[in-house]
Amino acid sequence: MARGTLRVYLGAAPGVGKTYAMLDEGWRRNQRGTDVAIGMVLTHGRKNTEAQLRDLEIVPTKKIRYRDADFEEMDVAAVLARNPRVCLVDEYAHTNVPGSIHEKRWQDVEDLLEAGIDVISTLNIQHLESVNDVITRITGVVQRETVPDAVVRRADQIELVDMSPEALRRRMAHGNIYPPERVDAALSNYFRPGNLGALRELALLWVADRVEESLHDYLAAHGIEDTWETRERVVVAVTGLPTDETLVRRAARMAGRLRGDLVAVHVEAGDGLAARPGTDLHGIRKLVGELGGRYDEVVGEDVASVLAQYARAEKATQLVLGETHHPRRRLLPQRSTTAAILRESVGIDIHVIAHEDAGAGARPAFGRVPRFARLSARRQGVAFAFVVLGLPLLAAVLTQLRDHLGLPADLLLFLAAVVGIAAVGGLLPGLAGALVGSILANWYFVPPIHTLTIDDADNATALVVFVAVAVTVAVLVDRAAKRTTEAVRARSEAEVVARTASSLVGEPDPLPVLLEQLRTTFSVRAVAVLAGKEDAWTCTASAGSPAPTSPEDGLAVPLGRDDSVLVLAGSQLALEDHRMLRTFADQVAVALEATSLRAEAAEAAVLSQATVLRTAILQSVSHDLRTPLASIKASVSSLLQPDVAWSESDRQLFLTTITTETDRLNRVVGNLLDMSRLQSGAISPNVRPVGLEEVVASALANLSGLPDSVVVEVPETLPPVLVDPALIERAIANVVSNAVAWSPPGKVVRVEAAAVLDRLHLQVIDQGPGIRPEMRDRVFEPFQRLGDQSNDSGAGLGLAVARGFVEALGGRISLDDTPGGGLTVTIELPIALEAA
Amino acid sequence: MTRVLVVDDEPQIRRALSINLRARGYSVDLAASGEEALSLAASNHPDVVLLDLGLPGLDGIDVVRGLRGWSTIPVIVLSVRDAEADKVAALDAGADDYVTKPFGMDELLARLRAAVRRHQPVPEQASVETPDFVIDLTSKKAYVRGEDVHLTPTEWSLVEVLVRNPGRLVTQRQLLQQVWGPQYERETNYLRVYMAQVRRKLEPHPSMPRYFITEPGMGYRFEPGMAVPDA
Repeated sequence: MARGTLRVYLGAAPGVGKTYAMLDEGWRRNQRGTDVAIGMVLTHGRKNTEAQLRDLEIVPTKKIRYRDADFEEMDVAAVLARNPRVCLVDEYAHTNVPGSIHEKRWQDVEDLLEAGIDVISTLNIQHLESVNDVITRITGVVQRETVPDAVVRRADQIELVDMSPEALRRRMAHGNIYPPERVDAALSNYFRPGNLGALRELALLWVADRVEESLHDYLAAHGIEDTWETRERVVVAVTGLPTDETLVRRAARMAGRLRGDLVAVHVEAGDGLAARPGTDLHGIRKLVGELGGRYDEVVGEDVASVLAQYARAEKATQLVLGETHHPRRRLLPQRSTTAAILRESVGIDIHVIAHEDAGAGARPAFGRVPRFARLSARRQGVAFAFVVLGLPLLAAVLTQLRDHLGLPADLLLFLAAVVGIAAVGGLLPGLAGALVGSILANWYFVPPIHTLTIDDADNATALVVFVAVAVTVAVLVDRAAKRTTEAVRARSEAEVVARTASSLVGEPDPLPVLLEQLRTTFSVRAVAVLAGKEDAWTCTASAGSPAPTSPEDGLAVPLGRDDSVLVLAGSQLALEDHRMLRTFADQVAVALEATSLRAEAAEAAVLSQATVLRTAILQSVSHDLRTPLASIKASVSSLLQPDVAWSESDRQLFLTTITTETDRLNRVVGNLLDMSRLQSGAISPNVRPVGLEEVVASALANLSGLPDSVVVEVPETLPPVLVDPALIERAIANVVSNAVAWSPPGKVVRVEAAAVLDRLHLQVIDQGPGIRPEMRDRVFEPFQRLGDQSNDSGAGLGLAVARGFVEALGGRISLDDTPGGGLTVTIELPIALEAA
Repeated sequence: MTRVLVVDDEPQIRRALSINLRARGYSVDLAASGEEALSLAASNHPDVVLLDLGLPGLDGIDVVRGLRGWSTIPVIVLSVRDAEADKVAALDAGADDYVTKPFGMDELLARLRAAVRRHQPVPEQASVETPDFVIDLTSKKAYVRGEDVHLTPTEWSLVEVLVRNPGRLVTQRQLLQQVWGPQYERETNYLRVYMAQVRRKLEPHPSMPRYFITEPGMGYRFEPGMAVPDA
């Protein structure tokens, strides 16, 4: 009997719609005539899922009694007897109740598959063994039911049921996933956007792994060698040079960014000639291992083609190479390995990484003049050699050809030789060549030969012109070379200035960047901007180490701005560089100016905000203090009136008003004081381990009219929290009184707590109107009131104080939707660890 | 007649307290500063001291220490809301209880009575009655709305200590030492767990206790909730 096919719907979290999708497919197949039956389905009371059941046949489940409770499990025997074509089995990772045939449902599914029945099932990402620990770390919930990855990967098709975190949370908020009563602190924490996003990413990645795997098989089956960019793989070529480490780290960062693999490869040239002395591949191998990559060694003669082949075989998407140095000694540029690789690797991105060491002590980085423009000593030497050896040789040759060539030809040939010498060597060899050439020509070719005298005026003219032309060419060549040098230098200076200017504009804090550029451009060890006077220098910014601490430590350039000085330490600068340095120094001065201006602007912004706050305070305080005072004054002055005899009940009324309003005034003053303490930073919490239920009880005791509108579920078995009881009590009281104020009549406010990882989450859950996401931050601003609920006694400070206190204790306060409507305030507090 | 020493630098508070206490049959001495308080205490031998912590000159806590140097006279401190640390320090220095300003007169008088009672040997109460439960100390039984409620031996000890000190703050340390033993000082977790059990058995709303109140970080208090005849 052919084995049945298994199709698994994989989801990132509960509620994305896996069961729905499974039922949907089942029904569609049924409509098309396939015999479909449901082996096991769990709708969790979700209406939409239940609706999907439609008229699909459900094979009756087996009822098992275990430890005084009834459980339902799939009846495998019944399904086998029924023998449908396709069977729908929910929750692949489920653990069966003891008393079932198999321990796990996936084992039951194996039985069905063996019998030739196709199975469609559902699974959550957290059930996969390979990601189990990651998920526990992300969500804080330990997942006990797991399925080995291999079992799932054996499925013939895995289909991802995806839903964005926002959509999922909306479903949650509407109560479509769990009934509101079931949603406790742990569940809310599970469904946080950050968690959901991470779970979704995990699910996508896991499935992608799968995709890659199938891809491998497909490519192998069809003999396709092309690279296929589905999963990024970075291959870095190491050569054994010290710069490899930088290269490998760069490649690793690239791999990290692309979420791909890292592979390092070293090509060992077959004939052993390419191995350079001092290679340290062992260290590189270790580094690659630490970075989570793989290290390979390949043998081959032609480095370029071997590397290209390797990259293709590995299905590399990125290839990282180091800049190859041209050895100076070669006259003809070597055909670079890089170019060769480029040619042979079509379809792979190639990154050539520059080596970072401008090197301290080397010549400054700009002004790198192309070889042919500089008149190096070598060139001059070559030219001189030609003068000494080549010209006499030419003379000898021409002497042999005396019968065939006349004087004009001889002279022109000499001229050509001297021009060549001047072109190669410049002024001095040119002059020397002209002199030697004219003497030789005179001696050997101008009649009378073998003497230095000249008979004919023509010949004298010719000789003079010869010398003149040679000298002119020499001078021109020399000047051309110098001009080229200057032009190149000027251009690189301009480039440097342009770069620094752009960084000034782009960076919010350009000074460190600028100093670092300065340091590398001039190849100095360290650069610093110092401010102050003799013997009292402070460092405003620096790059490189050790930073100079006084202008004596190096070359000092005054910045023309309140006693600031730019100091370069560690290298000598040529005279030409000083002009460049001056330009740089001006840029630094501008950067300093910009930094101080920015600081001033920030201060001004803070000040203006403070003004706004002060105005709000005055308005609010005026209202909230005067209102209770007015009531008190009214009641008291009424009682004091001599001409009225109040009835006992009226008296009681006034007196009760006075008491109540006094309490209210006390609360307002308290909140104002708390707020001002928070803002002046005068809170010094007195933390100790405290039981949360005791603090909650204490907080509620001070709020009036509560017992029936608040339900408290804070077990004393929770670990104690490390807080200042007075502060946290007020924070909780404020939050609860806010919740009660907004709670509609007939609905309760719930106060619950649960431990999540290393914190306790206290939740105050109301079923009132809730707060829109865009307003949530504003709610914590002091003196904000949403709507005109101006009857609270907090001057709009309650939540601001609560947040201030909670954060002063190292906790966090956050707002969320209550499933089914309303606001849930979550206060996270650190758990007090047991003293050792 | 019970003699009360009132120490506060605010004349209005002194006046208000003096009138109230005299109306209830106490005899009252007034002091406006710490030094005056110590000298009056030494010369007049009051039965209880009401001491404001925010005194000018000699600090309230120093007054407590001063008094404790030669007397075990009950001391109730009056503290201001934001000075929690002072309150704790005063209790550590030897004060018996505290009242936060602004206070209601009934609350203050209740604590005063409780503090005085500690010092006067009171005939052993046979039972404690509240609207929600009855505790029979002689037969060691508790009844909630007529039904017998079982308390474990530890729970009984806790209840007993608190109930024999109605209205008084019993610090965590005192409670631990009296119920578990002299070497127990910091195991506040025991108190949390057992008190929660006691509340679940006796209180009408266990999570919002009316009778067995916790003062977080400080101690516990049994509020009988019914007017008890005063001195």
